[in-house]
Amino acid sequence: MTVSPPAASHYLRLDPRAKLYLLLLANLVMFFHVSTRAEAVLVALVIVPLLTAGRVRMGVRLAVTYAVLLAIGLWAGAAVMDGVGTAGGEQTWVHVVGALCVGLRMMLPCFITGAYAFSTTSVSEFVCALRRMRVPESVVIPCMVVIRFFPTIIGDYRRIRDAMALRGLATGRWSLLRHPAQSLEFVLVPLLMNATMVSRDLSVAALTKGLGTRGVHTSMTEIRMRWFDWVAMVVCTIPLALGIGGVL
Amino acid sequence: MSQPGSNPNSAPTTTTPAKSPASSKRGLAVPDLITIGVFSALYFAMVAVATLASTLLLAGFGSIFLPAIAALISGCVFMLMVARVGKFGGITIMGMVIGLFLFVSGHFVLSFIASIVFPLAADLIARAGKYRNRIGLLISYVVFSYGLTGPILPLWFMKDAYVASLEARGKDTAYIAGVFAHINTGTFFISMAAIAVCALVGGWFGQRLCAKHFAKAGIA
Repeated sequence: MTVSPPAASHYLRLDPRAKLYLLLLANLVMFFHVSTRAEAVLVALVIVPLLTAGRVRMGVRLAVTYAVLLAIGLWAGAAVMDGVGTAGGEQTWVHVVGALCVGLRMMLPCFITGAYAFSTTSVSEFVCALRRMRVPESVVIPCMVVIRFFPTIIGDYRRIRDAMALRGLATGRWSLLRHPAQSLEFVLVPLLMNATMVSRDLSVAALTKGLGTRGVHTSMTEIRMRWFDWVAMVVCTIPLALGIGGVL
Repeated sequence: MSQPGSNPNSAPTTTTPAKSPASSKRGLAVPDLITIGVFSALYFAMVAVATLASTLLLAGFGSIFLPAIAALISGCVFMLMVARVGKFGGITIMGMVIGLFLFVSGHFVLSFIASIVFPLAADLIARAGKYRNRIGLLISYVVFSYGLTGPILPLWFMKDAYVASLEARGKDTAYIAGVFAHINTGTFFISMAAIAVCALVGGWFGQRLCAKHFAKAGIA
């Protein structure tokens, strides 16, 4: 969840709660294994908010990936149906490719909505949405910290690997895997050491900013459901409902 | 809403006497919640590493042994978190946060149930040992590790419905057999047993690591 630049606010962006609903829909599509047509329609619908949010390149990339997987899957299915009488060697190859593509394709609706939710929601919007949905504060605060802490973990890991290389430990490409227990200890212990420090610093910073005070907290970011949020939710539900109903 | 002790999970701690100086009589305060968040992030990173490792090492079996591999490597994270927080609710909230992030990253909603029920049970077990008993913590960790089974459990329970839907859509039997070659009842028990064994080894390794590095430094 990146903090979007101020310029991005000109774009049309959905409410975080609407995004969560879309994520739920994508989940249900995967769960009920609705027909490929309904799935393709939903993917097309989900790509639209990604484009209106200004993530054109990401949207196009994901759409092309989906289209390619869909095409290969359909081709493999057709090839298997046609080539019932042909040699068996080719068939297994087609089966493997087809199954792989179908499997990946079924994951994509979730992945696309997840990518959309992650790339267009700022941390404060997410926290605001959680609070509005009456999620208890004891869950909201850890969630906030998790998002805040991910980049720190990555940075720490790089520095730990640098320090290890300086001492001639695990320098090669696969060397971490050669002594798994030892590498786990060498990487994890500094990470945890730092985590305890950071959690102490963050606590002090958060308490200074009044996170522990009682009462309702105000927020700089305001979220509210507007007409296009409801429209997006209703429109995206239609292919799922039709798919489960067996129409599409 | 934002009272530190207002969550229902923390209510029992007000009645139990605080043994160690680290745990106050009130429930989870903001510093505890931040500690939980930091360790949840580390645990989530461990799960990501486990996903990568299981996909690389065991191509077809990937997701089935994911909880086992995650349990093997993240014992230390769990043990240090418990040592730092040491109050009822900490393990439960960690499980819930992990479940929430699994959902946002595209796993099925039902996995959320597993990631609440098992951590809650783990929390109760750890509380019976006052969050100090080594054996109790080890058992608690094993139970906690089953919280990650949420994303893979539907593979077994929904299998029949899935096969039926595949057949209805005209998929041939070879395709179906290929998909389910690795998924049967035997695999289920192997996978569940693997989680228990890996969690025991990982938890023991984690406790040893904690004693070696963090107890000496006064952190644990």
